[in-house]
Amino acid sequence: MGQISQELLKPDRGRRGPSATAVSYLLVLAVFGALAWFVVARQNRPFDMSTIAPYALNIAEGLGLTIRASVIALVGSTVLGFVFYLLSSSSSKFCRAFTDVFTEIIYGTPLLVMIMLMAFVIGPAFGTTSRQFMGQLGLVIYMTPYMTNIFKSAISSVGQEQYMVMDLFGFTPFQRYRYIIIPQVIRILMPPLMNNFSLIIKGSALLNVLSYRDLFYEIALMTNNTFRFVEGFLLMWGLYLLITIPLSQLTKWIDRKWGL
Amino acid sequence: MKIDIQNLSHSYDIQVLHDLNLNLESYKSIGIIGVSGSGKSTMLRIMSGLESPTSGTVRINDSDVTSEEYRRSVGFVFQSHNLFPHLTLEKNITLILEKTRGMGKKEAQEQACKYLELLHLGDQVHKLPKNVSGGQAQRASIARALSIDPQVIFLDEPTSALDPVLTYEVLSAVKELRSTGKAFVFVSHVMSFVRSFAEYVIFMHDGRIGEMGPPSILDNPSTPELRDFMEKEP
Repeated sequence: MGQISQELLKPDRGRRGPSATAVSYLLVLAVFGALAWFVVARQNRPFDMSTIAPYALNIAEGLGLTIRASVIALVGSTVLGFVFYLLSSSSSKFCRAFTDVFTEIIYGTPLLVMIMLMAFVIGPAFGTTSRQFMGQLGLVIYMTPYMTNIFKSAISSVGQEQYMVMDLFGFTPFQRYRYIIIPQVIRILMPPLMNNFSLIIKGSALLNVLSYRDLFYEIALMTNNTFRFVEGFLLMWGLYLLITIPLSQLTKWIDRKWGL
Repeated sequence: MKIDIQNLSHSYDIQVLHDLNLNLESYKSIGIIGVSGSGKSTMLRIMSGLESPTSGTVRINDSDVTSEEYRRSVGFVFQSHNLFPHLTLEKNITLILEKTRGMGKKEAQEQACKYLELLHLGDQVHKLPKNVSGGQAQRASIARALSIDPQVIFLDEPTSALDPVLTYEVLSAVKELRSTGKAFVFVSHVMSFVRSFAEYVIFMHDGRIGEMGPPSILDNPSTPELRDFMEKEP
């Protein structure tokens, strides 16, 4: 009894060492592993990954296209998001109103609807029949206001006082951007930018509706041929997680290392 | 330090300074006190050149405070440290010396270390502002203000964001700076500090100078306003 109360009185009670943390994570992983095993074992066909082995190359190509589409969407929406940030902070009332309305429209639109509209409605109006191009563009446009938002919050986080200090010491406009503003904005921007990248990767799976041969499309096609749904979709899930989880861990690490 | 203020008025939405006149010579440290909203911070900012007065002239050591040349020759310490958060304490100083004063890298580094050591931060130079205490960060910002070798250093309630222990730590460090021979003008609510550091005290009241004189006026106020102010000192 005495020992227990001594334990309770310790100031760092509840804080466990790294090994205890590792054990907790291992336990949680074991729970999820057991759940996965249960799900697999309950299927009426034995689980056999070798049945989908012949499709490995197609799946790898699909994975490559998923990454390609995501990187294009990341770069495109970052650039466009910055342009929209400039518009939204411009002195023109029209430009500000334009970005406001645009943001509201996009925030209210499901990504799948956006992709279909771009490919089947807006594309033809501009004389393009390339649905995959329009789908890709839809992903870029869908992410743009989210990017604008992170530019806004990152740039506004360089406080007014810092501008006062720059005034005081007589920094030139170039020096302000080069040494103070941009270095801070990049550090603040990185974590939400990488979160958005993760959103893009997940969202890119919807491009399969336009027969874009991404990871989702290739595996769904394979399961239609082989009826190996369990193996196929579990592999698909695993591959998405294989990209997104390290990405989110990297984001956390960067935030810890660089965060201001 | 020579201070010459003539017909100084200043307003934002409302008038905060009313036709101030002040002529002081040869004081090395001047403390400005008064309740919030009495205009003391505005007066300090105008004297430092951070803000231009609505009307009137202010000359410090015979320079007009609105001139660019004067502005580059003063140091200012804000209520919060306002260090650049992405730079180490040392870089916060060397960047300014290298980029805005054209100093060489090595010289800037020596200068930064010299002033950080003067403020007892010799072992913290490579830390980021977020990794030091509020008192250490404020001392680093004082070192930064000193590093450009200013003719006058202005301190605007430098400890109002700090707890009593850190306040003591920062103010003791400021007192030691007397040995640098620099001139100081400061706003503070810490009366013990005003008493021991100021050679001359200006009490602001409603945008006017309520009373001024040596620190002994704090103990023997001649105006009811200052008496009232001092009675409310905790």
